Amino acid sequence: MDEYTIQVLSNIGMFSFLALSAYLLLMTGEISFGQQAFFAIGAYASGIVTAMWGWGLGLGILCGALVAAAAAFLLAWPTLRLRGLYFAIGTLAFAEMVRLLFEIFSYQIEIDGELVGPNGSDGFRGVRYVFENDISNFQYMLLIYGLLAAVLAGFFLIGRSRLGAIFRMLGEDELLAEMQGVNRTFYKVLATVLAGFIAGIGGALYIHLNTYVEPKIFNVMLGVHSLAYGLIGGLGTSLGPLLGVAIDIGLLESIRIFTGYRMIVFGGLVAVLLIVRPRGLLDEEVIYWLKYRMRRPLARTARRQADAAPSEAGDAQD
Amino acid sequence: MIEFIQNTVDGIMIGSRYSLLAIGFTLIFGIMRRLNLSYGPSIMLGVFIGTFLFVQYQAGWLAVAAATLLGAVLAGIYVERLCFWAIRQGAALASMVSSFAIWMQLEELTTLVFPDRTYPFPPLTSAQPFEVAGINIQSTYLIMFGCAVAIMGALSFMLYRTRFGLALRAVAENPLAARFMGVGTGRVTFLAFVLASAIGGIAGYLIAANEQQVTPLFGLWATFKGMIAMMLGGMGSVPGAILGGFVLGVVESQATWYLGTSFRDIAAYGLLFAVLVLRPGGLLGQRRAERERLALRRV
Repeated sequence: MDEYTIQVLSNIGMFSFLALSAYLLLMTGEISFGQQAFFAIGAYASGIVTAMWGWGLGLGILCGALVAAAAAFLLAWPTLRLRGLYFAIGTLAFAEMVRLLFEIFSYQIEIDGELVGPNGSDGFRGVRYVFENDISNFQYMLLIYGLLAAVLAGFFLIGRSRLGAIFRMLGEDELLAEMQGVNRTFYKVLATVLAGFIAGIGGALYIHLNTYVEPKIFNVMLGVHSLAYGLIGGLGTSLGPLLGVAIDIGLLESIRIFTGYRMIVFGGLVAVLLIVRPRGLLDEEVIYWLKYRMRRPLARTARRQADAAPSEAGDAQD
Repeated sequence: MIEFIQNTVDGIMIGSRYSLLAIGFTLIFGIMRRLNLSYGPSIMLGVFIGTFLFVQYQAGWLAVAAATLLGAVLAGIYVERLCFWAIRQGAALASMVSSFAIWMQLEELTTLVFPDRTYPFPPLTSAQPFEVAGINIQSTYLIMFGCAVAIMGALSFMLYRTRFGLALRAVAENPLAARFMGVGTGRVTFLAFVLASAIGGIAGYLIAANEQQVTPLFGLWATFKGMIAMMLGGMGSVPGAILGGFVLGVVESQATWYLGTSFRDIAAYGLLFAVLVLRPGGLLGQRRAERERLALRRV
């Protein structure tokens, strides 16, 4: 694989974390414009850990994700009462506050005669762990996709478990869910914390690949994009957000014909797509249909056996 | 103390432009129960058409204002047809994301046609600032404030004294019942969108003329300032939008004076967050919020 392909694939992988994070909240019925805040917090925290305290990359990613999850826990409480658009704007306000605070946040220490650390609107430069330890871009891409696969496996496990049923129930009808004995506060906070954790991993991976971040890249555009990915790809499965990211970054950024017109084409395409499929490409109906198709051969055999069984029994009686 | 009063006066006058943007937002939201993220960018398209006339043909203020208004309305109709009329009722999230996609489209279109970072815009007036009882008043701010108040007056006359206003309020209250009473909901929705875009166009002209320049960041700025002001006052409420705009203006100018420029936006977002958490319906919308909650539960 050439360097360009690796770079595009890495980008798709990293932003998939953000899209999945927004998707997890969509599952519980909340629209969030603010997941980029946890992406940013994850990036800064893990950068501080590896570049300034000299810890390893694994610990760095873990710390980034945990700090992001902790921030999500703090956000979850005040926004618990907000629903729908109010929640969306509340998270937006939170994320913008975080970004603006990073614009004035400065914490630098001297390492080898060089100042390292976040420095206000200049951003956080010199996170060189990946380069100092001779990790090639290809290896780093494998790391990204390994973690992504782990997160996706988590999503599939959640989807098949009681927890997933509860999340979807809360998304469908909170009141009904509570009447069934679901502890709404606990599961809402849990969903927010998990979403923050996932976004934090993405941010941690992002800063180590790019060696620097600036606060301005974590603006609200990033948040709305991450929400849009899920809706373009489809809300029926956790692969939907990945498909959305792949369409945006992979397809359009790599096709050079669209240079300069990319958003005109993409914007129009998305608008038309949403008219035809308001819940994205892989929506619930498609997933249901796919599952049905996959199960049918088995079902057919079972039915044939069931049909055959009585006649055999009849034969035996004769 | 004199600084505090000075900031408040400035803030109210600057806030009038946020009020206008918030009114446009709240009209669309009140009628459709859907969020139009593309509101700012469609205004921006109008503003850029206005600046094009000014730069290319040295057009007078009336022509520039008319072009801005027309451009904003045309872009608004485009957004309405594509993102709201064509997407079935109930898919509020799809409408929102679709309007975001159109935002991207409009922004790229603008930067393609106007590649420079900033463009000049004709000022409202060249009159000097004057002083009333020790308080400095900018003439351009005063004109903007006057226009905004006039528009608010005309709008409330229209909303509460005309048949169209009655139809509009009926659709906002309950679309199904309004339909049974013989209101053409589709037509009223469309006209409300046009009205909101026209108000946005005027607001865009006033803002650009005050700044005397336009940048491609205008769309983002207008969308989020309008949305914050709307949320501060309470979604779907016109008096709330007006109040929200003024509050936002005053808070911004006080924060700039007492805390510094970098805290201006932090203060604005902090206030928004606090209002949302402590009074989730906005300053003037508690009763309404309950109904919104029901309407928005399934998005």
